[in-house]
Amino acid sequence: MTIFLASFGFGLVTASVLAIASIGFTLQFGVTDVLNLAYGAVMIAGAFIAYVINQQGVSVWIGLAVAVVACSVGSVLLNACIYTPFQRRGASPITMVIVSLGMTLIIEFGVQAIAGGTAVSYTMSQGPNVRADGLILSAVQLVVIGLSVLVMIGTHVLLRYTKLGKAMRATAANRTLARNCGIRTSRVITITWALTGALCGLAGVVFAMDAGSFDATATDLFLVLILAAVFLGGPGQAYGAMLGAVVIGLATEISAAYITADYKYVIAFVALLVMLGVRPTGLLGKAG
Amino acid sequence: MNSYYVLNLLIYAAVDAMACLGLSQQFGVGGVTNFGFIIFQAAGGYAAAILAMPNQSANGAFQSYIGGWNLPFPIPWIGAAVVGGVIALPFTFLVGRRLRGDFAAVGLLVTAVLLNLLVTNYKPLLDGDAGLSLIPAPFQGEYNPLSSNYQWVFAAGSLVMCAVVYLLVRRITESPYGRSLRAMRDNDLVADSLGKSLLSLRTAMLVTGGAIAGLSGGILVSYITTWSPAAWGYAETVVLFAAVIIGGAGNHLGAILGAVLVPVGFEEVTRYIPTSNNLPPNLIPSLEWVAIGLLIVIFLWFRPQGILPERKRVIKAGQTPAAKAGDPAKPREPAKLGEQARSAEPAEPTPAAMGTAQAPSAGAVAAGPLLAGTAASGPADGLEPHGEIVLQAVDVARDFGGVRAVDGVSFSVRRGTVTGLIGPNGAGKSTLLAMLAGTLPVSSGRIRYQGEDVTHLPAYRRARLGLVRTFQLASEFKRLTVMENLLSAVPGNRGDSFRGALAGRRYWRDDEAAAITAAEELLERFGLAALANNYAGDLSGGQRRLVEIMRALMAEPRVLLLDEPMAGVHPNLARRIGNELIALCAGGLTVLMVEHELAIMDEFCDPVIAMAEGAVLAQGTMSELRSRTEVVEAYLVG
Amino acid sequence: MSAESAERESSGAGASLRATGVTAGYGGDPVIRDVTVRAEPGQVVSLVGANGSGKSTLLKSMVGIVRVSAGTVAIGDVDVTNRPPEDVARAGVGYVPQVDDVFAPLTVRENLEMGGYLLRPAEVKAGIERVIAIFPRLGSMLTRHAGKLSGGERKMLAMGRVLMLEPAVFLLDEPTANLAPAVARSLLEEHVRRLAQNGAAVLIVEQRARAVLAISDRTYVLAGGEVRMEGVPAELAVSPAFVEAFLGGTVAR
Repeated sequence: MTIFLASFGFGLVTASVLAIASIGFTLQFGVTDVLNLAYGAVMIAGAFIAYVINQQGVSVWIGLAVAVVACSVGSVLLNACIYTPFQRRGASPITMVIVSLGMTLIIEFGVQAIAGGTAVSYTMSQGPNVRADGLILSAVQLVVIGLSVLVMIGTHVLLRYTKLGKAMRATAANRTLARNCGIRTSRVITITWALTGALCGLAGVVFAMDAGSFDATATDLFLVLILAAVFLGGPGQAYGAMLGAVVIGLATEISAAYITADYKYVIAFVALLVMLGVRPTGLLGKAG
Repeated sequence: MNSYYVLNLLIYAAVDAMACLGLSQQFGVGGVTNFGFIIFQAAGGYAAAILAMPNQSANGAFQSYIGGWNLPFPIPWIGAAVVGGVIALPFTFLVGRRLRGDFAAVGLLVTAVLLNLLVTNYKPLLDGDAGLSLIPAPFQGEYNPLSSNYQWVFAAGSLVMCAVVYLLVRRITESPYGRSLRAMRDNDLVADSLGKSLLSLRTAMLVTGGAIAGLSGGILVSYITTWSPAAWGYAETVVLFAAVIIGGAGNHLGAILGAVLVPVGFEEVTRYIPTSNNLPPNLIPSLEWVAIGLLIVIFLWFRPQGILPERKRVIKAGQTPAAKAGDPAKPREPAKLGEQARSAEPAEPTPAAMGTAQAPSAGAVAAGPLLAGTAASGPADGLEPHGEIVLQAVDVARDFGGVRAVDGVSFSVRRGTVTGLIGPNGAGKSTLLAMLAGTLPVSSGRIRYQGEDVTHLPAYRRARLGLVRTFQLASEFKRLTVMENLLSAVPGNRGDSFRGALAGRRYWRDDEAAAITAAEELLERFGLAALANNYAGDLSGGQRRLVEIMRALMAEPRVLLLDEPMAGVHPNLARRIGNELIALCAGGLTVLMVEHELAIMDEFCDPVIAMAEGAVLAQGTMSELRSRTEVVEAYLVG
Repeated sequence: MSAESAERESSGAGASLRATGVTAGYGGDPVIRDVTVRAEPGQVVSLVGANGSGKSTLLKSMVGIVRVSAGTVAIGDVDVTNRPPEDVARAGVGYVPQVDDVFAPLTVRENLEMGGYLLRPAEVKAGIERVIAIFPRLGSMLTRHAGKLSGGERKMLAMGRVLMLEPAVFLLDEPTANLAPAVARSLLEEHVRRLAQNGAAVLIVEQRARAVLAISDRTYVLAGGEVRMEGVPAELAVSPAFVEAFLGGTVAR
C-alpha cells in the first residue's frame, strides 16, 4: 500500500507541475492556433533565471517571481515577433511547427551556452514533511500542489467569470466575429500570451524544484508529457488540459512504481499516439 | 592535411547527403513531414550492426542484443536498407489519415522520442544506452579497416552509394510519378479527385525515404563501428530538416548542398574555433545548436525555397516525336487502357490539331480526351453517344449534424448532355456534386455510374473510372506549371507508378510525349499556350479556372462534374468554354455543371435540374423552367 | 465609464451608411467593382442578387474583413474604409455574418455578453433583458451552448447578439438562410422592420427577394459584382427587367 501511496504522492506533484504547464500550452494553442513547441525551452529558461537569482543568495521563491515575469514578457515577444509575422504571411501549420522547433533550439541551447551543461539545483529547504496515512510529502511539494490548485481555480474563474476570459474564449472560437463585437483581439492575444507565459515560467521553476537537479535539456521529455496531457484533454481546452494533466501525471508515476521506472513515460507517449490516431480533438473536444 | 581527416569528412558527407536525399524525396517532393525520420537511419544502423556482429555471447559477452548472425558484406547494408523501409510502414497510419499537418508531425516526433526511450531502457534489445560497439567493418577479416587504403576504398564506396541514391531519387522525381507526388504535396484533396491514391503515394514515400535513411545508417555504422541512442535523438531529425530547408526542399542537389553545409559544415567549422579554458566547455556545441535554430527561422522567413530552389520543369513544344500532317491518329489500343477504345479522329481541322495531334508511335494516349470527345460516334467504342443514362442519383441524402442538406434527391444524367444544376444558395447543389464525385460520403441513397453502384467507392477510384470533378475554390497545383498541371491528370501514363518511375525515361517516354501533345492541343484550343510554362499559382483567377477545366479534361473523363466553372470568368471566355464543352459532348462526353449564372444555362445546358432546399424542384430546358412559377419563386423567395 | 463605450454612437440614434464607388476583393481580381449603396437612418435597404454577385463581399468590405482597393465607406460622417472590424463596431455597426455567426463553444448568455462587450455591466444586463423580450425562446436557453442550437435558434442568437449594442447601422447577411419560410417572414417583418422603426439604418442582403422587398424602402440588385438596378421595391417588383436581372446573368450582356 505504501508503494501505491508514495507513487500517488509523486503522481500528485507531477500532475500539479503538468497542470500548470499544460493549461498555458493549451491556451496558447486555442487562441493562436500554434503548437508552441518552444514552451519547454521557455520553461527551462525560467528555471535558470530563478537559479541565477537563487545563486546570489536570494530565496528561490523570489527567483520564481522574477522568472514568472521574465517568461511572461519573453512569451509575448515570441508570439509578437516570430509566430504572428509568420502566420500573417500565411505559413502552413507544418511551417509553424518547424519554426517553433527552431525557436526551441535557440532558446534551449542559448540557455545551455550561458549556463553550461552541468546539472544544477536550487539552494532551498524542502521544509518539513507532512504525513497523512502513509502519504509523505514535503512542504515544498505541498506548495507546488497548492499552486497548481490555485492556477486551476484561477483559470476557471478567469475563463468563466471575467470579461477578459470570455473574450479569450470568443477569440479562440471565432476571431472575426469577436472583432465584430468590438473586441480588440490583438490585445486579447497579447494578454493571453502574457498570462500563459507567466504560467510557463511558474511551471519551469516548480518543475526544477520537483526534479531536484536539472540542466538545460531537462524539459525535453517533459514537453512530451505536456503534449500528452493536452491532446488527451483536447487541444485548446483548458479543462481538458487539467484533466489530461491529472490522468497523465498519476498514470506515469503509479505505473513507474509497478513497472520499472525507466518506462514511466511510455504510457504517456502511447496515450498521445492513440489519441492522435483515434480522436485528435481529445476527450473533451467535439468530434470532427 | 591529414588524409584521415579528409576521409572522415568525405564519408560523413556521403552519409549525411544520402540521409538528406531521402528526406528531400519524402518531404520536399512528396510533402510528407516525418519528424521521426532519424528512426529510419537508426533502424538501418542497428540492422547492419546485428547482421554483421557475431552472436552476443561470442562477442565478449558484455553487450546484449538480438540477432548477431555474423553475415558478410554486403548483407548488412542490404539489410539496413530493407529494415529502414519496412520500419516505415507502421508510420503510415499517422500520415495516411486526414490528420492536421502539425498534429501528425508532433505524433511522429513523439514516436521518435518514444523509440529512443525504449531502446535506451530495454537493454536486451540493442544493449540499451551503452549501445553497440565492435561492429565489424566490411571485409574486416581480409583487410585492415584502419589502413589508409581501406579507408579510401570505403570513402569511394560511400560516395558511389550516395551517387546511386541521388540518381534513384532523381529518376523518381523527374518522372510522371514524381509529378503526381508534387501534385499531392501541393493539394492532396485535388490530387485525390484526379485519381491519385494518397495512401499509396505516401506509403511509397515513407518506405523509400526510410530505406535510403536506413542505408545511410548502415554505412555510417560500418565506419564508426559503434551505434548508440545518443546518436539518434530527435534533435538529429531537426538538423536534417534544417539541412534540407536551407539547401532547398524539393531540389535534390539542394539536399546535398544542405548536407554539406549543415551537418558536415557545422562539425568542421567548430574545429577551427579556438578553444580556451576560460570558456564553459559546452559553449561551442551549444552555440552550434543555437545557430541551427537561427538558420531555420531565418531561412523560413527570408528564403523558404532554400539556396537551391526547386527547379521549374519547362516543357518545350516539339518534344513530341515528328508529326506527320494529315494522318488521322491511330485508334487507341484497348489493351493499354484496359477500357474500351475510343476512336481518335480529329473533328476540326485546326492547324494545331493537325500539326501536333499525329503521334504515330504513341499508340495509347494519343491526343486522347479532346479528340475522342469530338469524334463522330465511333463504332469502335460500342457505346451509344447519346441517350442512355450514365450517372444516376437514387434517393441520395446528406445530413450535417441535424441539418438535411440534401433530402432524397433522385435524377438521371444522360450521355452526351450538358446538364445544368441550379438553385439558390443552400439548395444543396455543391453537396450533391461532392457526393456524386465521392469527395463526400452519402448519408443514405445510392449513386450509380455507368450502371454500377459506386456509392462506397472513394473519389480517386471514381476518377480512374472516368467520373471526374472540379472544385469551386482555386485548386490548381500552385508549384507546378500549367503544362504540368494538365499532365498530372492524365491516367494510364506508364510513368505514373513507382515501378514505372524506376524503369526510367525510356519506359514512359512515349506515353509522356502523347500526353504532352494532348495538353498542347488543349492549351491552344483554350488560348493559354503562351502560359504553358508558368507556375499555375501565378495566373489570374479566370486563367486558373481554365487550367482546372483543362486539367479535368485531360483526365479523360466520361462524365465531368463541374462546380461553378464560370465563376469569375470573362463572359467571352465563358462562352468559349461552353462551346467547347458542347462540342466535346457531341462525341460522347457528359457534363453535369453547377452554376449560378442562369444565362449560361440558357446557352449551353439542356436539360437543367433545379434544386431548392435540398430537393429537386423541376427538370427541363431553361425556358421551360423559367415559365414554371415554383422555380422562379424558389429563386426569389428562397 | 470605459473609454470604449464613450467611443460608441449613443444607442437608438441611427446614422447613415454610405458606400461609394467601392471596389474590393480577396487579393486577386476584384469581386465587386465601383459599387455605390446608401442606407439612411430609419430605412430598410435590401441588396439582392444571385449568388456570386458579390453581396456578401460588399458587406464584408464595409466592416473591414475584406480589403477595399478603391472607394470609401462612411458611417455618418466617420470614414471607416479599411478600418479593422473592431473599430467599425465601435463606430456603431452591427454585423451579422452569413455563416459562423455565433460563438459555438460559448453559452447563449455568454454570446450575448460578447455582443455587449463594449457596454458597461449594468447595460449588459439591461441589454440581455431587452433581447429576451424580443426573442423569448432565447430566455429559456441562456445556459445552452450555442453550438447545440437549431438553425433558427442560432439565427435568433446571432440577431440578439447584434441587438445588444443597439447599433446605428445594421448589416445583415442573409439572416433568413436555412429558416423555414414562415419563420423567415416573421424575422423579416417583425424584427428587421422594427430595427429601422427604432431609427437605425438597415442594410440587408437576401436571396429571398420577394420577402425582403416587402419590407424594404429601397432595393439594389447586384450582379457580377456591380449594381445592376436600384429603386423602390414597388416599381422593381413589376419590372420585367428586375426578374431578368435576377434570373439573368453577365453572359447575356
